[in-house]
Amino acid sequence: MTSTTVPTPVQAAAVKKGITTSAGGRGDSPLKRAIIHATLFLAALIAIVPVLRVISVSLRPENRLLSRTLDIIPEGATFASYENVLFNTDFPQWLFNSLIITIGTSLVGLIFAATSAYGFSRFAFPGRGVGLTGLLATQLIPATMLLVPIFILAIQLDLVGTYRGLVIAYAVTSVPFSIWILKGYYDTVPVELEEAARIDGCSQLEAFWRVLLPLSTPALAIVFLFNFLAAWNEFVLARVLIGSQTDLFTWPLGILRFQAQFQTQWGDLAAASVLVSIPIVALFLYSSKWLISGVTLGGVKG
Amino acid sequence: MSHKLQRLLPIFVVGALVLAACGGGEIGGDESEAPESQGTDSSEAAAPSEAAFPEGDIEIELWTKEGDPQIEYVEALADAYTAEHANVTINVVNKDVEVLREDLVNTALAPESAPELVWTVADHVGPFTSAGVIQELDGKVDTAGYEEGALAAVQVDGTTWGIPISNGNQLMLYYNKSIVGEEPPADTDELIATATENTGDGSFGLVFNETESFWLTPWLAGFGTSVFEDDGTTPNLDTPEMQAALEFLYDLKYTEEVMPGEADYTIASDLFTSGDAAMIVNGDWELGNYADQLGDDLGVAPLPTVTSTGLDPAPYTAGSFYMVPSAIEGDTLTVVLDFISWSTSTENQIQMVEELRRLPANLEALEDPIVTDDPLLAGAAEAVQRGTPQPTNVEMRCVFDAMNTGIRDVLGAGNSDFASVTADMQAAAENCVATL
Amino acid sequence: MDVDRSVAALSEVLFTLAIFAVGIAILEGVLYVILVRWLKARLALPILLIAPALVGLTALIIYPLVWELNVSFTNMSLNRLCDPGFPAGLLAECRGEPMFIGLDNYINVFTRPVLQVAGFFQVFWQTILWTVINVAFHVGLGLGLALLLNRHLRLKGVYRALIVLPWAIPQIVSLAVWRTELNAEFGMVNQLLSLIGISGPSWMTDPFWNFFAMIMVNVWLGVPFMMVLLLGGLQSIPADLYEAAEIDGASSRQSFRHITLPLLRPVLVPSVILGTVWTFNNFNVPFVINQLELETSDTLVTGLFRAAFQYNRYGFAGAYAFVVFAVLLVFVIVYVRRSGALRGAYE
Repeated sequence: MTSTTVPTPVQAAAVKKGITTSAGGRGDSPLKRAIIHATLFLAALIAIVPVLRVISVSLRPENRLLSRTLDIIPEGATFASYENVLFNTDFPQWLFNSLIITIGTSLVGLIFAATSAYGFSRFAFPGRGVGLTGLLATQLIPATMLLVPIFILAIQLDLVGTYRGLVIAYAVTSVPFSIWILKGYYDTVPVELEEAARIDGCSQLEAFWRVLLPLSTPALAIVFLFNFLAAWNEFVLARVLIGSQTDLFTWPLGILRFQAQFQTQWGDLAAASVLVSIPIVALFLYSSKWLISGVTLGGVKG
Repeated sequence: MSHKLQRLLPIFVVGALVLAACGGGEIGGDESEAPESQGTDSSEAAAPSEAAFPEGDIEIELWTKEGDPQIEYVEALADAYTAEHANVTINVVNKDVEVLREDLVNTALAPESAPELVWTVADHVGPFTSAGVIQELDGKVDTAGYEEGALAAVQVDGTTWGIPISNGNQLMLYYNKSIVGEEPPADTDELIATATENTGDGSFGLVFNETESFWLTPWLAGFGTSVFEDDGTTPNLDTPEMQAALEFLYDLKYTEEVMPGEADYTIASDLFTSGDAAMIVNGDWELGNYADQLGDDLGVAPLPTVTSTGLDPAPYTAGSFYMVPSAIEGDTLTVVLDFISWSTSTENQIQMVEELRRLPANLEALEDPIVTDDPLLAGAAEAVQRGTPQPTNVEMRCVFDAMNTGIRDVLGAGNSDFASVTADMQAAAENCVATL
Repeated sequence: MDVDRSVAALSEVLFTLAIFAVGIAILEGVLYVILVRWLKARLALPILLIAPALVGLTALIIYPLVWELNVSFTNMSLNRLCDPGFPAGLLAECRGEPMFIGLDNYINVFTRPVLQVAGFFQVFWQTILWTVINVAFHVGLGLGLALLLNRHLRLKGVYRALIVLPWAIPQIVSLAVWRTELNAEFGMVNQLLSLIGISGPSWMTDPFWNFFAMIMVNVWLGVPFMMVLLLGGLQSIPADLYEAAEIDGASSRQSFRHITLPLLRPVLVPSVILGTVWTFNNFNVPFVINQLELETSDTLVTGLFRAAFQYNRYGFAGAYAFVVFAVLLVFVIVYVRRSGALRGAYE
């Protein structure tokens, strides 16, 4: 199969199936639309109010968590916590470390999962059911159960105090969940499309690459997003595998110094949390374009 | 990466196995060559110039429970030492108290991951000696210059397991002079009277952390009881005196009504610093912070005498301590011990008082004007003197946990059946000790 | 930010990834030769596709599991911190006592109080309740919001970004803030309630309301995640199916039942399974919101933590963890079979 700019029969078949954007909504009555907006507004409000409180805490002077008023901007609001976090600690370094680890491992995890899920979705082989159940079973294990032995294994393999162990661990542990989700999405894409491609001369893998993957872009984006978020916020494994190597701290390890048994620096902690959420929100906003649809082909309908 | 591996709050356990034979589990594992003991009352900050300071690169990893902003003091201390000794590097790592405990216990399984020095709290002696991860310090450091009460907190059966850095951790009475006046209440009747006067309209007379049993413990001596029987390990929680102590606290909240409905540590502290609470029972670790926020309005005093018994409450005292992991030996050990002595020398301890506003453990520093002339520190020193060293045996944790349920039942849920509360506390403590 | 350290960190990550890639390539190469060239296996392709993930997971998960199983038959604890070795400490002694204690730990899980007073079955029941209610709300609200957002709507992107925020903010702070805001006197929740004339309950001390609060907070946390998952699933349902149905006169309820649900199933089912499992194993929310450690609010996982980990009772913890694992495994196997989630695209 050569790459073309003219829609191939496969792509035309896809168009004929009408793979386009969201369903309906154009013909809604104004009342219906108002109700929908109201509901969404309420949901957004509920979602956002505690977040606003976090922002309030970050602006509050003197590291105070409690406030007796409902003000969002507290009295005497100050950016002192942000200043402290950004300039007096290694926070930017921690952010950078987290960023490179998270992006790297999310991509790798995605690649693993995308290919493995294809195997599970399109092939019926003995042991598939067991394999899938086994993957699911890995999610059942309480995390704390794994820490001790992983700690020992890591010490024996000299993976502690470096990123080696952490990168491998993140990339691998994201896989079961990703496989399950991607398999689910793959199952919704009709196999006829790939079959048509193979009739046209593609090998199985080429069909995967050229037909299924582009159509699964929403799923791939979601999986990437989830893995990103999970690795970004991950603390437990990082603690075990990075240990005391302060140079390599990711931000969850770094901000621990703001917390003590009693004397938590709430302002600094909140400021750090706000700063740390910004990449996530930005990523989510950016990814919404991928979440819209896989192939629109100019919105052509068959 | 799965969501279940998202962060746990900094309390979790990572077990570990001794890769070596079982002998690693015994107490006092490591025999190291005892270096020349360093004098602790050298009164300069300069490097003690004993003969044969080790050559060669020495790397010291120091785990400290101090977080922001106190950790800056620790880092400055490390920097000053390494400025004097160019071949030594000190890496200061913050670990929250529970995390530090777990991580050091885990080094029993993987000794190569142990740090060279830890700066932590006294009650870690129990778990650390059980797991065999720290070494005895008798004969390695001269303990003559330290305050006895402070040392006692890390001594078990006559063996010293740590060197005190600061002495305190005691609960005391902070009061807002602009509300209460210059003088603190002298006994609990006065306390109640003062608190009642100042309660109303969203303000409270007295606040404290209602969710942790640590805030119950000072009053036990005031009612004539203690948590262990004479052998020091059998819980003794089901006593009339304990019930009296619980009743006292219950009355403060529900009869005299001088306390807020629910107050954990943060809420109590915030109320006090914002001026909505006249008095607070809190620990000496907040002294610097409260002094910054309340300025001249801050007063500090020991907890008032219990009127009905005439006894003084005795808060648990502890402090921060250096402990040395058992795996450390040789030249590294020499340098570590030297650092310990140097950093707790009089001059450095005086500086610590300046920076951290904590009572020093060094006897000479305690008598320095910087302590005696400061009314706040003097108040804290008085409070510490009335205190009693906190038990550091492993059973203490069982006792704290059992009392937690009790205090939450009484203050949180308003349970006034004190007899059944103490019975439950005793049962829980015994159950816990049995399964240790 | 230090350039040197950043460069070092970056190169270490890239280096690890490179090693990783090389390792995979070697693995695949070897498998290819064996399966395709030599054995001419028909099923070579799926095996090749799945192999790397399988190898990694075995190392990272199987080994630790086996280790835990081993320890669960011993009395390893803080006072007996020795290596039991394989198998199950049968040959090891610690502090003069043999380490192997057979099924004692497992028996203790069921017979002794798991918390200070509460036993296993009470906590188990609480966990079931916690899980079922949470998942019902997660899926229900998540699906509802996803359906609303799956249409042409102004400000759709804004709504979506805002609704996702609870998930984006690190739990460590959002949970701490929630806990403070649930304070009966000073918290925002009761302040808001009093604005509309309701006297808010005591969220922290009352067993019923504390449980309710846990669920409330977890729903707040979990709905965005479910919504995003389901929205993606909805997006892949072709639009003209709905239009065709509309032309044929179907009501929106009918098209929901006959178009949306069946086509959403492959995504819905894994979401429900995973949501259930994660809720069951959720530690953060019950632990933080149940500040006063009310035994009525504890779940199996927090109970596990309290009873075992605070005292370094490794043997007991291993047994307890396996019991929890077994419970979930049974559920998963049953549900997965019944829901047909194991079927592939050809079935």
